[in-house]
Formats: sequence, structure tokens, C-alpha cells
Amino acid sequence: MKRIGVFVCHCGTNIANTVHCDQVAEVAKDFPGVVYSCDYKYMCAEPGQQLIQDAVREHNLDGYVVAACSPRMHEPTFRKCAERAGLNPYMIEQVNIREQCSWVHADKEKGTEKSIDLLRMAVAKARKNEPLSSSTIPVTKRALVIGAGIAGIQTAIDIADNGFQVTLLDREHSIGGRMAQVDKTFPTLDCSACILTPKMVEAAQHPNIEMVTYAEVTAVDGFVGNFDVTIRKKARYVDFDKCTGCGACQEKCPKKVSSEFEMGLGPRKAIYVPFPQAVPNKPVIDAEHCRYLLDGKCGVCKKICPTEAVDYEQKDEVIVERYGSIVVATGFDQFDISKYEEYGAGRYPDVITGLHLERLMNASGPTAGKIKRPSDGKVPEKIVFIKCVGSRDEAKGRPYCSKACCMYVAKHATLIKEKMPQSKSYIFYMDVRTGGKSYEEFYKRTQEQYDGQYIRGRVSKIFQVGDKLIVRGEDSLIGRPVEIEADLVVLAAGMEPRADAVALARTLGISYDQHGWYTEAHPKLQPIETHTAGIYLAGVCQGPKDIPESVAQASAAAVKATGLLSKGELTSEAMIAECNEAVCAGCGLCISVCPYKAIEKKKVSERVHGQMKERVVAVVNPGLCQGCGACTVNCPSSAMNINGFTNEQILAEVDALCQR
Amino acid sequence: MNSLIKEMQALAQELLASGEVKGVFGWTKGSRWYLTPPLFIQKAEDAIKLHYDEFAINNLTSLLLDYRNSDDKIAIFVKGCDSRGILRLIQDKQVNPEKVLVIGLPCPGMVDKEAVKDQRHVHDLPLLRKCQECRYPNPVLADRTLGDVQVTKEPGVPIGITAERAIQKGVGSKGKERYQEVKEIEALSADEKYAFWQKQHEKCLRCYACRNICPACNCRECIFESDKKGWVNKAATTTDNAFFGITRAMHVAGRCVDCGECERVCPAGIPIMKINRKIMQDIDELFGTYDAGTDLEEAGPLNHFKLDDPEEFL
Amino acid sequence: MSTVEDKKQTAQDWEPNIVGFACNWCTYAGADLAGLSRMQYPPNVKLIRVPCSGRTNPQFVLRAFQKGADAVLVAGCHPGDCHYSTGNYFTRRRYLLMQRLLEYMGIDPRRFQARWISGSEAPKFRDVVTQMSEEVKALGPNKKLREEL
Repeated sequence: MKRIGVFVCHCGTNIANTVHCDQVAEVAKDFPGVVYSCDYKYMCAEPGQQLIQDAVREHNLDGYVVAACSPRMHEPTFRKCAERAGLNPYMIEQVNIREQCSWVHADKEKGTEKSIDLLRMAVAKARKNEPLSSSTIPVTKRALVIGAGIAGIQTAIDIADNGFQVTLLDREHSIGGRMAQVDKTFPTLDCSACILTPKMVEAAQHPNIEMVTYAEVTAVDGFVGNFDVTIRKKARYVDFDKCTGCGACQEKCPKKVSSEFEMGLGPRKAIYVPFPQAVPNKPVIDAEHCRYLLDGKCGVCKKICPTEAVDYEQKDEVIVERYGSIVVATGFDQFDISKYEEYGAGRYPDVITGLHLERLMNASGPTAGKIKRPSDGKVPEKIVFIKCVGSRDEAKGRPYCSKACCMYVAKHATLIKEKMPQSKSYIFYMDVRTGGKSYEEFYKRTQEQYDGQYIRGRVSKIFQVGDKLIVRGEDSLIGRPVEIEADLVVLAAGMEPRADAVALARTLGISYDQHGWYTEAHPKLQPIETHTAGIYLAGVCQGPKDIPESVAQASAAAVKATGLLSKGELTSEAMIAECNEAVCAGCGLCISVCPYKAIEKKKVSERVHGQMKERVVAVVNPGLCQGCGACTVNCPSSAMNINGFTNEQILAEVDALCQR
Repeated sequence: MNSLIKEMQALAQELLASGEVKGVFGWTKGSRWYLTPPLFIQKAEDAIKLHYDEFAINNLTSLLLDYRNSDDKIAIFVKGCDSRGILRLIQDKQVNPEKVLVIGLPCPGMVDKEAVKDQRHVHDLPLLRKCQECRYPNPVLADRTLGDVQVTKEPGVPIGITAERAIQKGVGSKGKERYQEVKEIEALSADEKYAFWQKQHEKCLRCYACRNICPACNCRECIFESDKKGWVNKAATTTDNAFFGITRAMHVAGRCVDCGECERVCPAGIPIMKINRKIMQDIDELFGTYDAGTDLEEAGPLNHFKLDDPEEFL
Repeated sequence: MSTVEDKKQTAQDWEPNIVGFACNWCTYAGADLAGLSRMQYPPNVKLIRVPCSGRTNPQFVLRAFQKGADAVLVAGCHPGDCHYSTGNYFTRRRYLLMQRLLEYMGIDPRRFQARWISGSEAPKFRDVVTQMSEEVKALGPNKKLREEL
């Protein structure tokens, strides 16, 4: 039988004004298990804590209950006090008779009565308390960054600069991501490649960064501190150790394919480097189009290669690597504009997206930087921009704002005017959102110095007459229909999650919202963390952002990842789930509701009728479990329990509250 | 039927003789014409004892629990409804699909042996209640099948029952109204409901027959078996019986395979399926139609959620 | 000898005893905030602190009724706000069924309630507790499912 002490705090007059603390302490003396009870003005103050410690020693207490303020306030204080008194800190309970009693009930008799009920409850629980302890797990001091766009590159460089090994993984052949496709960046208009490629090279050459491109994560096992990640390296059919990147194969390859990097506006070969500044700058063979790999004919690249680097026999390679933390920076897809049939997107070649225009403006793009219409190569004079295409549109399932479009449209209008002074840009908008340093000023210049004509309203229809696109809409400010004969229409297509974002989330065990953006652990206070310990988010995969925001989040993710790696070991929670293996039937119902993938199966052997039999039981990973208790309720045999909130403790509380 | 029994015996004989399985769960002819109790055989020569007819009422699947960690492969004969119990046990990881050989049988619709008075022939007896409402006459899973039976995950009209007999017994039509009895209780006032159930709970002997026959009640140790856990007293007081009844229902919520065995075996005659069906009805209404034990891949309704589940708690 | 008058007196004096399960992160915090804001409400609801509404086993609810609680409240974070990300979505499913089942068993739905109360919703906490106390007081003592004394 445990010896329990009770300490009733007056909190000055905060409690004592509306609760007879002396009476409460007196009544508590008769509670089962209570061997000592007293009241005092300030239990949390040094003399109060001393009083508790003395009483623990003098009365040989196994545990105690403090009736005071909310445990959310002072539970750590009284746990530490218990430790100083030589008790396990989890042998104590704090019961709330201030926030949930004295402050909310003016009637002193009723307040006293409720305090007694609450105290009886806490004593009943404390009698069932058991000593608890935390455990530690070692950390693998190495990080994985998934996705090597600007966010992933920045994260990798920051982690590497902090002195940790990092693997930078991308499924494309080259790192660089979306930013590599962009021509110039707002609001400074510096060329995207000029600021991105140095970072790409830095990442490639950093002694702490291992670059793994043309590879995908296929499975993630393990947990914070020790993730075992299965990576499939796709066959490139080119031996990178031998290849010098001379480019002869690319030149001679007879097979032309539409280039993904150029948004289908230009060709590439079946053996190719996606863009001139690619890192690594060595070609791969596109197996879906290579004539040799498809039907064994051709083989030109192998014949021409001076270093015999082409290897048609290469196979995908699967490796498993261990990492302490993971940063997800997988970016976004551009909204599929063909969903807007009224705009003729997909039908009219001269209705394009912002990203197409980036390629048309880029000096190393398919038109060498000269803006020409995709249909006939004519230089357009009247250009219409339509904003919020696949953003802020409930009907298209994209109610959110894609955030960067207002600024990139202003940038486009500015650049077009600079390149073609005789041209005219019309911009249809719902709102203009220019939150950001120097953004509003940039937008003003687009209107005032670069003649961008902003028209507030939605476009209802686009149709072709001759070689013109007739854009029909409404100017909602003057309430009159407008019609523009345009040469080129640019849709500011919004951002949407990668098509396979949800699949990767499931592999990683992180959560995602209804659209497929990855969910941060807390929208305000933990915008970098996921709910899965040790996995962090950077860039647009979490939600639409522009480049500076992505970079800022990338550096933040690097700090979080590094913070974890710099610890030698992790301390687990003490109040977590525990499985009673003797009772567990191994049904796995607990696994299905665990938000942290903290429950695994393990085999146990036991002797049944003189024979050793194996069976499966659930086992809780103390490094992952956060103690929510969902498993306990889904376990019909109550084999799962939460230390500190056990079934037995809660039942004792229920019984005590009902026993009046 | 006789040729089907011959096929069963031949298959069991072959499986045991070849050593492919170490035991076979089936039924045998009982001591009276209207009894066809379960049988477990381990020797090939015993295969001849197997029998099957309209009295092979027992769902045998929960018997597999005795072999849940066994290395031996066991064969089991199943009717349509029984096969859902096999799925339950596989989903709950209590049966290793590699270690069980499921043999699907066509079901003629079982008849109610309790109705036997002076009848002498099976055709004079009414169909068992659970069979009148049968929705899964075909096995949802089987490694082998005998007779004219298909394996399908879709509910359907019993194929083993002739059209004539189906009309005679009203099979199929009742199936559509399987929540009828639930609705009748729902229509009562709160006090009438309570009085009705209180009467049921008073009758409960806590013999746990309902639990023991249930393929969804497959815990290694039932919380009602151990008073150390403190959930309930051992003594069968009415309040503890109610605690048991409601808790049992919540434990099989979304997992009950609707075989009706709990109610059939209850010696006190408690209409247990009226509770199970209530939960099934609410699951169908709240979370979308779901038949437990018909799809191995589908997670049960309490093991997943939708962000836009009905919101009634405000 | 008790008279009719006495009984009336007793009935008026009777105060319901309501057991509340509150998740540590939202509802318990909301109740603390009600205290910090010095809101006043009846003392009938007593909270048992649990890590998450998803920790509240329906068996705890039954036990409370068995032992004489006049009503039970289960309260946690709003869906989407769970500290453990998904706990309350399971609470929602489980207690939607439980609530209907208890009603089916003849328990007045006012005696078992589930509510979402966030850490900032102190007024909501006060209102829920006040309303529940008044409703249950009007219903009178619960005798259903209760163990014989």
C-alpha cells in the first residue's frame, strides 16, 4: 500500500479566498492511502517545496498530490521537487483547484466541495502511479534531402556547412528544379541561372554533400535518428566515371524528343543533358525513346563515344542508407491549364503558361530568348495575361492562392516591354497581392513605367479568329465588357502538389492536406516540422511560396535537421504506450491508428505444451511514441496502455469522482 | 447433397493422406436427424465421418483460433457467411492464410432445428433466421470450392436455394430490410428502450458463449476474463452485464461479420444481433456502406477516418 | 418521516455530478483559460485530464455511469487541431457510434455528450459546462446503467 502525502496550496488568496484549504487538507486525511496532509500559502515557492521535501522524508511518502494551480503551469516544478526529495518524478500528481475551481466558483462551500472531489480523484490516481523513466536512442549523424530545387540545394549546403554529411537526392538527372527553368527573378530581375548555378556547383563540389540524382525514395523504415531509406537509382545507360561530358553522343543521336525542360517548346535527343548548365553535366539515355533500347537498332552513341561510357546493359540499382533526419523539398507541379476549356488551353498553341513564357524569354531557351508565338513563330504585339488560373477557384478544386503569380506576371509584363517596346500587355486580375519586400514598388513600376494595363475582372472566353485570339471578359471596375484581340495569351497557372506527393507522404509517414500539400506540425509555431519526428519540410511542397520564402524555409529546415544531428542521442518521452506482450494477440489494430508509426510487430517465442512456439506481438518504439493513447482504445484486450495515463489510473479517477 | 458429401469426404481424405493438411474442420451426422455438429479430424480414415446438410449451422471459423500459432496447415469447410469469419481472422492476423486451406461449399440455407417438433423432414422446417436475411450465400474467399459455388465479394441471392424454396421462405426480400428490427427499437421511447435492454441484461448469464463463437472476438485474453484489469466484476450483476454487452458490441464495431452466431448460441435468448446490426446501420449511414470480412485490403471503419466525416459534436 | 415538501426540497437541492474527459492540449487548456478570465460556471463538471480525446475509452464512459455519474462529457481539440494530428478524428468516429448506441440502449443523449473545445474557447467551455449542468439538473439523477447500491 502506497503512502501518499497531500499538499493543499492557498496560492496566496487566489485559492484560499473561495476554498477552505484547511478543510480540504483535513478531509483528505481520511482518503485511502493518505498518511499526511497539510495546507500552505505558496507550495511552489522555495519554503513550500522545502515543506514537501521534508514531509516526503519524514513520513516516508511513496508519492504525493499537490492541490494547487493547473498542472499545465507547475507540474514540472513539483516533479523536480519530487526528484529532490528522492522520489521518482512520476510518482506525483497535481490537481487543479485554481483555474478550474477557485477562480470559477464564487461560492466558497461549493468550491470547497469540488476541491475535495478533485483531490479525491487525484489521490486515487496517485495510488496507482508507478515510477517511469525515459530512454535514449543513438542518432545517425547524416541527413537526407529529398528534392534538389533551390530549397533542397540550400538545405543541403547549410547542413553541409554545419559540418554534417548530407545526401541531396533528386529524381531528375540534374539538380536545379523549377528555378532552373525560370529566366529572371522578381523583384530584382537578376537572371535565375546566374544566381542558381553557382549554388548548384557549390552543392556538387561540397565535400560533405553526396549528390544522388536520377533516383527515387521507395521506402522509409526506422524512425527519428535512424531512418533506413531505400533509394532506387535509375539506370542512366552511361557510365559517369568514364563519361567526360563532351556532348558528341547528344549531337549524333538521331532520335528527337520533345524536351520536358523546355515545356515541349523545343526538342532534345534520346541521349541528352536536360539543359546546358545541368549538374551533373553528363548525359543519360531516355529508355522510352532510345532506338537501341527499344528495338536493338541504332547504337550510334555507343559507337561515337570516345571513352566507351555508353552501357546499354546498365540496370536500376537499389540501395539502403541510414539517415538521422530527412528534409522533404519536393516542390510543385504547375496547374494543368487544360482544365480551363473556356480559355482554349491545350487547343490553341498560343495560349501558354507562365513557365512556357520563361522558356521563350530565356537566352538559352528554344527561341534563344526571342519571344515568338509557338504556332507560327510570329513576334506577338498584344499579349494578354490571365491571373488566378488554377488558384482561388473553388470550382477547379484549387481554392488557395498560389502566391507567386501576381509578382511573376508583373515581371513578365516588365520584361516583355523591355524586350519589345512596341508591345502592349493586358493583365486580367481578381486582386493584386504584392506582400513582400520591394514587391509593391515593382508592381507600380510595371503599371507606370512599363505600360502594363491591369484590368480587374475574369475572362469568360477565348476563341480564335484568323491568327488572333479574341479574349472576352469584363472590366468589373467600370462594369463593362472588354474584348482584346491578342497575339499571345499567358495563363498564370497556379501551383499544385506534385502528382505523386501523396504517395511520397505515405512512404515517409507524414501528413498532407486535402490538396496534397504536406502538413506542418503546427501552422504557426512549427511550420518546418512534420508530425513525424525527424522529418522536416522546405519550400513549396508545404504550400505555395516564392523563391526567397523557399530559401528561408530551407535554411530553417537545415537548422532543425542539424539540431537533431548534433545531439549524440535522443531522449524519449516517459509517458508513452507500452504493450503487455502476454496479452497482445498481434492483431495490429493499434498500428492502424498510430499517428507516429511508433508501433511495430515483433516475434516472441514462448513455451506451449513443452514446445517452443513463435507468435507476433506489438512493440512500441519509445523514440517515436508521443503518448496520445489512440492505440489503447483500439486494443480490445487492453494490452496497450499509456504509462502515466493507464486504464487503471483513469478508472480509479472515474470511481473516485463518482464516489461522493 | 449426397454427391457433395462424397466430394467433401474424398477431398478431406486426400488432403490428410497426402499430408498437405494436418487436420480438417467440418461437420458430422449427429445423434438425431436434425443435428449436424462440428467435427475435427486428423486421420484420413476419419474423412468418411464428414457430413453436410441443412443442419450444418455452426460457423467453424473461431475454432481456428486454437491453431493460430500452429505450424500445421489446417483445412476448413465454409459456407458463404462462414467465409467472412475467415477474412476477419486473416485481417486480425490470427490466421496465417498460408496455414489454412479454405474449402467453399454451396449453402442450401440452414434450417431452424429449434423448430423441430413432430416434423420428420427438413423441408417441413423454416429457414434459420440468419439465413432468411442471407446476403453472402457465396464464399468471399476460398482456396478450393466444391459443388456449384462461386467465390465472389459481392452480396447476392443464395444460389444453393431453389427459386421455389426462396419464395416459400421469403429469402432475399428480408435481406433488404435487415435493419427493420433496429428501426423498431429506435422508435421506442428512451425508457421503453432501457426497459427492453434491461430485461435482456438481466437474463445474461455471462457464459461468454457469444464471445467464444465469434470470429471477431479473437483476443488472446478477454478483458472480461481478467478481473485484475478492473474493468468489470466477475459476478453477473445486471449493470456489469450491460457493461459487457455494450463493450462487446463496441469491440466488434466495424469488425462484426454479421454471421449471427452470437445470437444463435445465447442460452438466454438475448437478441445480440439487434445491437450488432444497430452499429452496422450507423456505420453505413455515417461512414459509407461497409461489410466487414468481405475485403482483405479495406481498413475497418474505426481504423481510418475521413477529414469530412459527419460532424455532430460541434 | 419525510413529507412531500421535504422531497421537493431535496430534489431542488440536488446537484448533478458530471464526469468530463478533457484532452490536455485543447479542452483542459480552454478550461484553464476560463479560470484565468475569471468566468463563472456551475461546479458540477469535474475534469479528468487525458492526453487526447482519443485516449478516452468508451469503457471509461460506461464505468462512470455504472458508478453513478449523472452525465459524461468527452471533449477535445477541434478536428484538424489535434496535438497528435489524428487522434480526434478517431474520437469522432468512435463516439458517433457510441452516442447512437447509448441512445439505442435508452440513455438520454443529453447525458452523454462529446464536444470540441479549443484552448482559446474559454467562453465555449463555460457555456457547454453551464448548459450541460442545467440540462442534467432538469433531467434529475441518472439511474440507468447504474450499479445497485
